[in-house]
Amino acid sequence: MSALLEVAGLAKHFPVRRGAFGLVSGHVRAVDGVDFELRAGETLAIVGESGCGKSTVGRLVLRLIEPSAGQVRFEGEDLLALSDGAMRARRQRMQVIFQDPYASLNPRMTVGAMLGEPLMLHGLAKNEAARKARVGELLDLVGLRPDHARRYPHEFSGGQRQRLAIARALAVEPKLIVADEPVSALDVSIQAQVINLMRSLQQRFGLAYIFISHDLAVVKHIADRIAVMYLGKIVETATTDELFRNPRHPYTRALLAAVPLPDPTAARERTLLEGDIPSAMNPPSGCRFHTRCTFAREACKRDEPALADDGQAHATACPYWPEFPPPAVLAEAANRDADRIRLTRLQAAFVNNQQREAS
Amino acid sequence: MSVLLELRQLAVSFATDDGTVRAVDGIDLSLERGRTLGLVGESGCGKSVTSLAVMGLLPPENSMVKGEVRFEGRDLLTLGADTLRDMRGARLAMIFQEPMTSLNPAYTVGDQIIEAIQRHQGLSAADARARAIEMLRTVRISSPEKRIDDYPHKLSGGMRQRAMIAMALACGPELLIADEPTTALDVTIQAQILDLMRGLRRDTGTAIILITHDLGVVAEMADDVAVMYAGQIVERAPVRALFARPEHPYTVGLLGSIPRLDEKRERLPSIEGRVPDMSRPPDGCRFAARCPFVELACRAETPPLVEVAPGHLTRCRRAPLAQVLP
Ligand SMILES: Nc1ncnc2c1ncn2[C@@H]1O[C@H](COP(=O)(O)OP(=O)(O)OP(=O)(O)O)[C@@H](O)[C@H]1O
Ligand SMILES: Nc1ncnc2c1ncn2[C@@H]1O[C@H](COP(=O)(O)OP(=O)(O)OP(=O)(O)O)[C@@H](O)[C@H]1O
Ligand SMILES: [Mg+2]
Ligand SMILES: [Mg+2]
Repeated sequence: MSALLEVAGLAKHFPVRRGAFGLVSGHVRAVDGVDFELRAGETLAIVGESGCGKSTVGRLVLRLIEPSAGQVRFEGEDLLALSDGAMRARRQRMQVIFQDPYASLNPRMTVGAMLGEPLMLHGLAKNEAARKARVGELLDLVGLRPDHARRYPHEFSGGQRQRLAIARALAVEPKLIVADEPVSALDVSIQAQVINLMRSLQQRFGLAYIFISHDLAVVKHIADRIAVMYLGKIVETATTDELFRNPRHPYTRALLAAVPLPDPTAARERTLLEGDIPSAMNPPSGCRFHTRCTFAREACKRDEPALADDGQAHATACPYWPEFPPPAVLAEAANRDADRIRLTRLQAAFVNNQQREAS
Repeated sequence: MSVLLELRQLAVSFATDDGTVRAVDGIDLSLERGRTLGLVGESGCGKSVTSLAVMGLLPPENSMVKGEVRFEGRDLLTLGADTLRDMRGARLAMIFQEPMTSLNPAYTVGDQIIEAIQRHQGLSAADARARAIEMLRTVRISSPEKRIDDYPHKLSGGMRQRAMIAMALACGPELLIADEPTTALDVTIQAQILDLMRGLRRDTGTAIILITHDLGVVAEMADDVAVMYAGQIVERAPVRALFARPEHPYTVGLLGSIPRLDEKRERLPSIEGRVPDMSRPPDGCRFAARCPFVELACRAETPPLVEVAPGHLTRCRRAPLAQVLP
């Protein structure tokens, strides 16, 4: 089996400077020993709460920042050993999309210039006509019109701007896209459009995604596999279906239980996590989650658990999970009662009519 | 049940360079004591403007308000600025997505809560401080005796949100407007804050208007829901009815487009198109341009909000929607 991306022992410790002389007074252990693999065409989601290190992992993978330790291999090649020039060439195969479509697009460039630039830079368009044709094709791919090339970013809505960011990432025909909270700033109705677009482009071009998100429901709809992070470490990883069906790590379970369900009749198990996330400058000893864990015992304060694979690609950084009571199962919404049937039919009609109108 | 707040034909417009923006356009709404109303709708539909109008906090330079905001029968729009300021904080309070919009970074958390208590309740400095500590304890800030002397920037996001809630609730308001109170927080912290709000509501009987774009939060917290679209309420119903039997196409689309933890679908349905430009709202139904069930007549005149079941209102000519099914 060949992985597109292999990450091993990856760490990033940011120095924290204090005082007038900028003396280093400590380190933020933003990412602290992370391993994972990604195959071509696959989506790995990285989830976890604010500050757990998701974005830092994304930036390390793209080598936008240099790691403190660890390895990143892309298509078998050690990225960290590459010269700047060689790395620049590899970037064509690895692209990034950020959360904020407003900040990430140059306001003074037309869409045509913005999409055309990387084509010229990487020699993907031989001449003006080829460039123009390709720009039109890219806009079409993301559901915009070729004549939009003349416009500026501010003339587009949030969802459209995120489409532009996707078009720009696609321009250089990458193998991997790191998408950092790509739909978090969008309204739900628009989120769905962007998620659907990302999925169809993935199937069409065999793209691999690292999809960074704090929204578990969004992740459920796009990811093949999920890695849950807490304070710089992966605490659990499994295929999406498996993780939602059999969450093992107490943190994963708490995270799932905390997501409000859009169903006023749902009876939920409510075990609230107490307290705030500890500081990454001074993470708790042993298992980093022990200060908030309902199942914590003495040994957890001392021993740092390894991320142990069960042989079925489900790995958990908690040796005690088999002893925990089974998690509350999220009942798949029942399809039987009359209201449910009516709503399902209405939604189907909504989509069908919409598509009929579009064509 | 007695009505605490009643909006009648509330309309807010702004003078801008692009002309007049009709941000809120004829809202009728009532809220009973102790109830929680969820206000949902996509970005820019007028949720925050509605709540700012209730609080009397719209920018005076370029905004225009029409209609009535009746609080216990009195129209707040006719009150003088001083009277309104006295009511704000004491009887109506508001919390925001970003706590730093109501917490002043230059003062300690305690100073700010104490100031609010003294202004409205005339307690002595010592009593007000004791009450402020009590409030911080109520919102489950640990060691409140120490925290009370912290500056806001020393607190985590979740704690700041709690401090803001403590300040808003210090005087026991009858109405609390919470504008995206948990949107900027992590889910585990959000769960704590929602739990806190539920407890406070139970203990104090405060009525809440909860503004959010998260339908999960609405399902958990609200008794009733109002769905806004382009400055108008398009549907209003008790929470269970809204989720089970939506009667406005926009609500149907909205419910369909949310990714859910308890479901997996190949494709998420989405609502194509975009919201109308509120400086030039279309004639007729505002949702017509995006509605898959649109008919010619929908574009002719704005449909009224009609009752299709007890307490369930929709602004759609085609309701009950069973008739649009093939
Ligand atoms: N350049 C930097 N210098 C110092 N500390 C940093 C730097 N970048 C990130 N950090 C810290 O590293 C930790 C991880 O940050 P990161 O942005 O990766 O988190 P995240 O999981 O993406 O969070 P969010 O969900 O809020 O985006 C945080 O404690 C953050 O404050
Ligand atoms: N001070 C102002 N001047 C001009 N226009 C304004 C002003 N405040 C709000 N608006 C406009 O009024 C409309 C409604 O805005 P509002 O803030 O109520 O939306 P919202 O529903 O709260 O959206 P969001 O979910 O993004 O918070 C928007 O079109 C907005 O641009
Ligand atoms: Mg991030
Ligand atoms: Mg708002």
